[in-house]
Amino acid sequence: MAAYLSMGEAHRRIADYLSRLDDAISQSDGADLASLLAISSAPASTPLSDALAAFPDFGRLAADRFPHLSDFLPSLLRAIHSHSLRRFGDAYSSFEKAASAFLQEFRNWETPWAMEAMHMVALEIRLLAEKADRELVMSGKNPDKLQAAGSFLMKVFGALAVKGPKRVGALYVTCQLFKIYFRLGTVNLCRSVIRSIETARNFDFEDFPVKDKVTYMYYTGRLEVFNENFSCLNQADQKLTYALMHCNPQSESNLRKILKFLIPVKLSIGVLPRRTLLEKYNLLEYADIVTSLRRGDLRLLKQALDRHEDQLLKCGVYLVLEKLELQVYRRLVKKIHIIQREKEPSKAHQIKLEVLVKTLQWLGITMDVDEVECIMACLIYKNLIKGYFAHKSKVLVLSKQDPFPKLNGKPV
Amino acid sequence: MASHGAAPAAGSDAARVEVSGTGQTNQPAYPPLVSGDHSWSSTTGAAAAGSWNYPVANQSQDAVYYDPQRDVSVSGDNQNVASSAPPAVQSTMGLTNASHSHVPYSSSLQHGYNPAEYANYYYNYPQATNSCSVQQGGANQHSGAAYQPLTSFQNSGSYVDPASNTYYNAGGHQTAPGYATTNYYYQTDTRNDGSSANNYAQSYQNYPSSDTNAAQSSSTVPANSFSYQQQYNQWPYYYNHSVPTPAGNPVAGSSNIDNTVVNTTSGYSYPSMEPPPPGTTPWKSNSGASVVPPVQAPSVPEPQNQYVQQAQVTPGFQNQYAYQAPGVPVSQNYYASQAPAYPQNNMNVNQVPLNNHGDQQKSPNMQGSLTTGIYSSENKTQIPTIPRIAPGFSMVIPKSEKKILGADLAKKPAYVSVSVPKNDDKAVQNGSDARSLPFSLRNYAMRNLSRCKDEAQRAACQTMIQQITSKAISNGTLLTKNWDTEPLIPLPENLLTMTETSANNSSSLPTSSTPKRRLKSRWEPVPEEKVTEKVEPLAKALMNGYVHNNLKAQNTMGNSWNLGKSLQSPHAPSSKISHRLSKKQKMGSYSSVVQNGNTSSDSDKEKDLTKYYANASAVANSPEEKKRREHRSKRFEKSKDSPSKSRNSAVNKDAMARIHTRRPISALVTGSYKDGSSLAVEDMDWDALTVKGTCQEIEKRYLRLTSAPDPSTVRPEHVLEKALSMVETSQKNYLYKCDQLKSIRQDLTVQRIQNELTVKVYETHARLALQAGDLPEFNQCQSQLKRLYREGNNGCYFEFSAYNLLCVMLHSNNKRDLLSSMASLSKEAKQDGAVKHALAVHAAVSSGNYVIFFKLYKQGPNLNSCLMDLYVERMRFEAIKCMSRSYRPTVPVGYVAQVLGFLLDGEDRLEECEIWLKAHGAVLSVDNSGELQIDTKASSSTLFMPEPENAVAHGDASLAVNDFFARTL
Repeated sequence: MAAYLSMGEAHRRIADYLSRLDDAISQSDGADLASLLAISSAPASTPLSDALAAFPDFGRLAADRFPHLSDFLPSLLRAIHSHSLRRFGDAYSSFEKAASAFLQEFRNWETPWAMEAMHMVALEIRLLAEKADRELVMSGKNPDKLQAAGSFLMKVFGALAVKGPKRVGALYVTCQLFKIYFRLGTVNLCRSVIRSIETARNFDFEDFPVKDKVTYMYYTGRLEVFNENFSCLNQADQKLTYALMHCNPQSESNLRKILKFLIPVKLSIGVLPRRTLLEKYNLLEYADIVTSLRRGDLRLLKQALDRHEDQLLKCGVYLVLEKLELQVYRRLVKKIHIIQREKEPSKAHQIKLEVLVKTLQWLGITMDVDEVECIMACLIYKNLIKGYFAHKSKVLVLSKQDPFPKLNGKPV
Repeated sequence: MASHGAAPAAGSDAARVEVSGTGQTNQPAYPPLVSGDHSWSSTTGAAAAGSWNYPVANQSQDAVYYDPQRDVSVSGDNQNVASSAPPAVQSTMGLTNASHSHVPYSSSLQHGYNPAEYANYYYNYPQATNSCSVQQGGANQHSGAAYQPLTSFQNSGSYVDPASNTYYNAGGHQTAPGYATTNYYYQTDTRNDGSSANNYAQSYQNYPSSDTNAAQSSSTVPANSFSYQQQYNQWPYYYNHSVPTPAGNPVAGSSNIDNTVVNTTSGYSYPSMEPPPPGTTPWKSNSGASVVPPVQAPSVPEPQNQYVQQAQVTPGFQNQYAYQAPGVPVSQNYYASQAPAYPQNNMNVNQVPLNNHGDQQKSPNMQGSLTTGIYSSENKTQIPTIPRIAPGFSMVIPKSEKKILGADLAKKPAYVSVSVPKNDDKAVQNGSDARSLPFSLRNYAMRNLSRCKDEAQRAACQTMIQQITSKAISNGTLLTKNWDTEPLIPLPENLLTMTETSANNSSSLPTSSTPKRRLKSRWEPVPEEKVTEKVEPLAKALMNGYVHNNLKAQNTMGNSWNLGKSLQSPHAPSSKISHRLSKKQKMGSYSSVVQNGNTSSDSDKEKDLTKYYANASAVANSPEEKKRREHRSKRFEKSKDSPSKSRNSAVNKDAMARIHTRRPISALVTGSYKDGSSLAVEDMDWDALTVKGTCQEIEKRYLRLTSAPDPSTVRPEHVLEKALSMVETSQKNYLYKCDQLKSIRQDLTVQRIQNELTVKVYETHARLALQAGDLPEFNQCQSQLKRLYREGNNGCYFEFSAYNLLCVMLHSNNKRDLLSSMASLSKEAKQDGAVKHALAVHAAVSSGNYVIFFKLYKQGPNLNSCLMDLYVERMRFEAIKCMSRSYRPTVPVGYVAQVLGFLLDGEDRLEECEIWLKAHGAVLSVDNSGELQIDTKASSSTLFMPEPENAVAHGDASLAVNDFFARTL
């Protein structure tokens, strides 16, 4: 197609595109401008990209026609052109230049009319960087574009996270930064951004757009799951729950993402999901774990963790799930207690250690007496069971009142 | 001061500006301090209480709060503070300085500080007495009056100078010239005294002597006269000392205070000091005259002198101003006055008491007019000190004097003479009312002009001086500024190193150590060029001239600076000397710090303590403070660099050789330096610098490189292999092996060898480090190994994966790291025994299953158990907490011992466990059958984690002093 494009036609198309851009800027039409900047979603061949291919001197054209945008337009056109040629590394580099120029302009605009376009730039630069990095990895080079995009977005964030009307757009950039940091595994960098979002006194968090708030809560909730301290799981619970409650109910994939982290968190504080929920959102990797919690089936838990280990490790919930082991033990003891109460009510509160060892053996788990004794001690120590252990007689003595207290939202 | 070397020149302008602002602010703050001190002094008949407060302030530059617990070193700082206190600006300065000095000097500090402390002591005591006198003479003039009586009292006659006496009496109005000459002498004396007494001085020795002096004032007098010449000789030493101080001071210099200026110019400051001689001399004379209590003088002399001068300055007379220049020293004077008291009370008292005194001293000063207070104290003490110093000096002096000093002495006179005419010149040149200009400023101008070789330079210099003067006037620092310590203006042509100005008197010797340091490692980012540039474009030249300026040389000789030469040639001679003197230098630096503290002017009035503190803390956080910190760190680099300084210097032939041979290699870098620009690390051509070693020696000590490696000291790969096997079979201790392995690693790195051998070296080192419990070293190796494995080098990957897992889970306790470590394990790795073990340990720790943990502990493959070792204590404590909570009524100790991995069998194990349990607060009882049990209910509330016995403040027990020595032997 491109081959058939006449120079004049190509020239006309490019000029048209440029004048639309210029109009959008001069008329402060953020939405229009944003749509013109969306380049990574474009198919390989568009009228514009064809024209750019046919008219190689587009850079000069743009600079001549709109000298006041000479930093911005040529780079932008080059980025579009490189992108259409699937040279993402080049596309990224050019786009970053254009974005820098745009940011410069944006800083000078007093009203936030171009917020939408700025967000588009932030999104585009991330997407382009990801593509560029993929390309770099394929060619065996060091993928550093996403990192560069991260530092560029920090600049954008700096321009937005100020007093004034532009601040409302800061959370969107924050979320883009989160995405980059999570992908790069440099999650610790999130902290500074979070601090500046959460410590701002002159801007209420609730005033941010809902979609940004949900994304923000999702990522910060995930961060809490990562946190060293398990008591942060309550925080994680709150944030992820917030994200779940405010998320668009139509957006099932987003709901699934949230649930993927919320379910382990809830499990650890003793809240089990219905199976239908797991089925609805295709989170069946948790199904066995939930079942094992219900049954006190230690073997099933270990199997489930083993089977999904890689996946669970990757998304960072493995360590949380691993901790469920004690809850499974507790359930097991509870079941034994219930059976004993039926058979021998007078001794319902005394569970012999050998019984426990034998039970575990039935489950295919071989543990010696000391180990089991230790587990019981831990259960008592961590308030999962009320009672005490009599070492001399090797008997676990349960409290007569509420021997298995509810977790009440306290993580183990 | 010396450290300022490069910066100083530039610093002069910038510094001034800063000074004006900060100085003023400080001053207000200062007075409060005084009051506080005062109270202290009154309460603390003994030094202790007073000392607390000040020390604290000094220590924590940031916070001005008092730390009662302050160490000795702190006390040293205190001195500074105290001294500084009288002049408001100075006070803050003192703080900053003190802190600075502290950090850098840590080892040496004590010595230096002690002397200072002593001085403080003295002063304090006197202060009480002094304060009275001070109060009487509210104004400076008054003080003068008060003094006179004192002087008459003292041996002043014996001490000496009529001129000084007269000066004193006159109120310091007398003609500058006359003063200068007389003063000059005095100064030398005082300086020597100060340096010797304070710095060298083995403060302790002086101390006793001072006592005696106090007692026998008469006896001391003769000593003074004696000492004079000796002291004179010492001068150079003093300067040397001062040089180091600059380093310490630089930081201070960065701070806004006037003093800071001095510091920055470090080199300069010295020169400035010289001028003070005139002023100082009077001072001394004052001290001599006034010094009824001779004792104090000996240790404190320098400071005292300066102080006096300050006091004089206050009157506003030009002459007085000259004195002010010395102002820095003034603080010391304070001390001196107090000093006398010190001997009386605290012969035994060490540093702590001193501190107190220092504080107390301040208070007295504060009360009266500062100056008056100072005076009184000074008078009393100074004379005695001198004698003492003389003895001490005589010990020290011989070395340096003979070589270097001789020249200095000869030159000095010349200098003096020159200075006089210059004053005139300057006055004319400036066109400003000479009368209105402080004497010290004129001296300063003279000094600058005297250095000019030709008319062009002179003209340039004049304009510079005018600028500086006008700036000072506009800033209001004209009178308050310590012109005697102001850095000299860089000569347009030579520029030389103005920074080293110390050169004036000190000559190359003292400066050598500091200026050289200035060179820094070439990786150091841009030097303080900015500062220098501010001052003048010329200042850039400074970069080149690490060389010291010898004022003498310049004055008398008028030239002789070869920038290029200066770099190297001065070094060699100076380095030796500096080495010898290094200790003393440090002390000297300390003293100089004190002096700086004084800089401020007369204008102190009442201010709020709180303000003062706030200022101090602000200073601590200020950019200047940061700069200073940089200076400090640089100094360490440098000290490592210069063979003379390094502890090993004598030992290390290699290092010496390297320094010389290194030059060619690093020519590129140095060259860039000369141009006043430095290459960024990323701009360097590392390939060109990659070394092919030629050294055939198997054994080599590790020395952190501070410059490009020298091929003749780098071992090629095949030698490194031998070295590795040598280390592996060596019977020597870990420290030796660690040192050897580090040098092997260094050689590998500089030759960019990354292969199986590299892996092996790191693995060997990592294992040794694990066995020795040296986690930091292990972590270094581990991170290198991770990279090496990732880059495809073969090694014991699984083994180290297991270590990595254990390390992350047991020590760093970072969930994200653990997750990524676990996620990065391959299927094969998970089948490996060591890795499996590590994962099992993780499971045990995560569920708190101590039984499994200790079972695994006993079966750990490779060195897994070594890593677990570091967690055993914590795990045991968790376990015993768990047991005491969940078991009722008792648990047999035997069972606990078995479960918690007490390794020995039988009775021994029981005993060990019992000891451990008791140490952690468990309640034990014996049951009916005679078996030892833990009473769990009682224990559950009494368990505690004892403080580790080998804990050290800096957190790394392996850095214990003994080990430190073992390493350096």
